[in-house]
Amino acid sequence: MSDDQQAVSETSQNGKYRVQVIRDKCIGAASCVAIAPKVFGLDDEQKAFVISEDELDDIKLLAAQSCPTAAIIVTNIETGEQVWPQ
Amino acid sequence: MAVEHFQAKVSEITRLSAKFMQFHFELVTPNTISFSPGQYILLEVPGIQQKKSYSITSSVDLDHAIEIVVNTAPHGDGVRYLTSLTPGDKVSFYAPAGIFTVAPISSQIGAEEKSLVFVAAGSGIAPIKNMLIHQLRFEQDTRPMVLYWGLRFEEDIFWLDKFQDLAQAYPNFQLHPVLSQATPAWKLCRGRVTDCLSIHPMIDSAGYYICGRTQMVEDVKTLLLQKGVQQQHIHHEMFN
Repeated sequence: MSDDQQAVSETSQNGKYRVQVIRDKCIGAASCVAIAPKVFGLDDEQKAFVISEDELDDIKLLAAQSCPTAAIIVTNIETGEQVWPQ
Repeated sequence: MAVEHFQAKVSEITRLSAKFMQFHFELVTPNTISFSPGQYILLEVPGIQQKKSYSITSSVDLDHAIEIVVNTAPHGDGVRYLTSLTPGDKVSFYAPAGIFTVAPISSQIGAEEKSLVFVAAGSGIAPIKNMLIHQLRFEQDTRPMVLYWGLRFEEDIFWLDKFQDLAQAYPNFQLHPVLSQATPAWKLCRGRVTDCLSIHPMIDSAGYYICGRTQMVEDVKTLLLQKGVQQQHIHHEMFN
């Protein structure tokens, strides 16, 4: 694998989107866990938390858009823009 | 079961009562689905990025289609879209999602639950009906099971015949419909489901499965915790 390929691979895995769970809004529906099980888990109180950011941006965004209470904030770290909720 | 993206076609729309409608989606691609009773779909609504969650109410043995039940009274984006559909229209969704399922009897929590109490309000009955029928018919679960189902008006009730048939066929199942706006002629439980739960004797070693609006679920949880039910035996699904 070339350096360029390595860079692309790392970018696609870690991506430019960062996710954050607003714990008070989470109702434990676990749609985020279903869509992005590598990124989200549920704690003992059935509230979502972030395990890892190691996932494609599209999957992270889809997980956030699947949350019935919009409890997941997605931020583009390159621009600082909040991608979701809009 | 990993989440998949499904394309489906509306094949039947049934009005169950003044407020509640049932939608039957015939799967196109993939053309079969595997899920656990209690799980839901994430419906894509054109023009809306947020996915809308609807519990699957059809049986797991119907693997080429799914059915959902919707309360059409709140006119949100999901309801507006669904009520605009006609048979033949295409829909798409992700499924299955959710962890609101009956604890397997092989698990420690499941083994501790010597009876099952289901508590639903409104369309919260959708996953509960599926779980209940699955346990009785498919799992041949002989543990005592009780269903408390809260609605506002008598005319809101649907599937009563199905539940009464179940109670006839399975003596271990009891039904308690609860109406918050009952007429004087109503002879069964009235008030909120918590009122009915409060006056009935507590069932020993029960697992509680609650589905409804956030406040209703919180109220039931608070009551059960006050009555000494352990947190791990209170399973719930909330919606807005």
